[in-house]
Amino acid sequence: MSQVLADRVSATPNEQPSESATDGLVGARLVTRRRPARWVAAALALVLAAMLVNTLITNPRFEWGVVGDYLGSSAILRGLVLTLWLTAAVMVSGYVLGIGLAALRLSDNAILRTASFGFVWLVRSVPPLVQLLFWFEIASLYPRLSFGIPFGPEFVSFQTAHLFSALAAAYVALTIDAAAFASEIIRGGLLSVDHGQTEAASSIGLSRWRTFRRVVLPQAMPSIIPASGNMLIGMLKATSLVSVIAVQDLLGASELIYNDNFKIIPLLLVATIWYLVLTTLLSIGQFLLERHFARGKRRGPTRSLPTVWRDSLSLLPHRRVAKAGGAA
Amino acid sequence: MSDTIAVASSEVRIRNLHKVFGGREVLSGIDLDIPAGSVTAIIGPSGSGKSTLLRCINHLERPDSGYVEVGGEVIGYRPEKGRLRERSSRDIARQRASIGMVFQQFNLFGHRTAAQNIAEGQLAAGVPAAAARARAGELLKRVGLAGREGAYPSELSGGQQQRVAIARALARDPRLILFDEPTSALDPELVGEVLAVIKQLATTGITMAIVTHEIGFAREVADQLVFLDGGQIVDRGAPADVLDNTDNERARAFVAAVL
Repeated sequence: MSQVLADRVSATPNEQPSESATDGLVGARLVTRRRPARWVAAALALVLAAMLVNTLITNPRFEWGVVGDYLGSSAILRGLVLTLWLTAAVMVSGYVLGIGLAALRLSDNAILRTASFGFVWLVRSVPPLVQLLFWFEIASLYPRLSFGIPFGPEFVSFQTAHLFSALAAAYVALTIDAAAFASEIIRGGLLSVDHGQTEAASSIGLSRWRTFRRVVLPQAMPSIIPASGNMLIGMLKATSLVSVIAVQDLLGASELIYNDNFKIIPLLLVATIWYLVLTTLLSIGQFLLERHFARGKRRGPTRSLPTVWRDSLSLLPHRRVAKAGGAA
Repeated sequence: MSDTIAVASSEVRIRNLHKVFGGREVLSGIDLDIPAGSVTAIIGPSGSGKSTLLRCINHLERPDSGYVEVGGEVIGYRPEKGRLRERSSRDIARQRASIGMVFQQFNLFGHRTAAQNIAEGQLAAGVPAAAARARAGELLKRVGLAGREGAYPSELSGGQQQRVAIARALARDPRLILFDEPTSALDPELVGEVLAVIKQLATTGITMAIVTHEIGFAREVADQLVFLDGGQIVDRGAPADVLDNTDNERARAFVAAVL
């Protein structure tokens, strides 16, 4: 012990700095390394971008005039509204079911846990299009549905063919799909919250429900929101599957028109432009939500949307202002 | 066992407490009394069951046999025809509200400010927001953090966070407060400020149980020192007796190693 200490004392530098050949470099300017490959790559990317713009403008088969004619047409707008409405309905009911599934999966009851796992396994394993067709054809599997005591008397019964229109089938199939994925997102988020938070809440006498609502869920949000945002955008696009069973969503409406006038590419572009607009708006909303739920996570001022935009998309090397805070 | 301490004035009575984790007995028959208004320090090597013992007191761990009584009420269970039946979670929450706890890792709610952390328990009890906020400010002042109501835990040092955690544990006027290695996660230069707050608290007459590695602090503050090893109380008594004149071989070796 004392030997180590003595070594350390003798190793401290002398008061007098030693002389060296590099002494003349004290005031030298620091020059950054040249990176020619970066410039080549950037130039290539710019050329490709120019080619893309060029072909968009000069290729007459895009028929931008037709695109413009149909972009705001009432049939397309009706499809757009249906897409939005279906996405919203599916996401809301999917998340309500998903919270329930996640709760079952995290419960102490082994049977309920297994049931939740089995449901998620089944739904995740079958392509959504196949599920959609199953629900569309449900009437041929169960022509009649009834409510009553299991294996006992029935109270009400329905003809499934009347119950399941194409739109209802689409809603049910996509909701079930959304519920399975939402439950996984929510479960992961809840598990990401340190158990000490729950213990602290218990120690000050919070009930289980209050602990969940006020302590665990808000802190699970930062990991739930980004994944849910991605899922929402995915679902917005996945609703286009319903055009297969003749539901007039954004894509279905476009198909109906091009089946009539054969302007396939322009009408697909109409749908594409609307999907682009919607996903862009959703991305902005997602950003604002994420920033809101980052409270208490990060030091320093919250970054505004234009700042983030500039930081992630800047073409020129952006000025690096001293980053205060850093990793908290 | 209760020959040295009068049972009648005990705030905490622990009887024949056993706890098993994965086939290993962590607590094997703990009997302990903590007199009202006194400070009990629990020391011992890691893995000796100190934290588990503390966590059984507010039912964060469920005993496998035996029981804990605080203020004359069995914690987590209701005596019923010679049995102990587990209480409803609402009832357990009510019992926990009268037992404050301070954790090694602070466990402050990261998404809430210092004041909100402190006020949360009172809001749950139905105290109006304004009153809870005022009380939070008062408690912050008491732990030396006046004016830091709006600070998030990530903006506070470890010592400051632990002091907010102490204020949070005090917010519901507990009859007993448990400290689970309150300074073990702190940088050395921050330990003093937290110990000072605990020391000040000890003079107010609140009953305290402290699991700690700070032997000097235990000697100074504790009325009773309990040495735990292998899930059993190996020695206990006045701090000076246990630390300086213990008859027990294991206790002597441990004290020699940590001092």
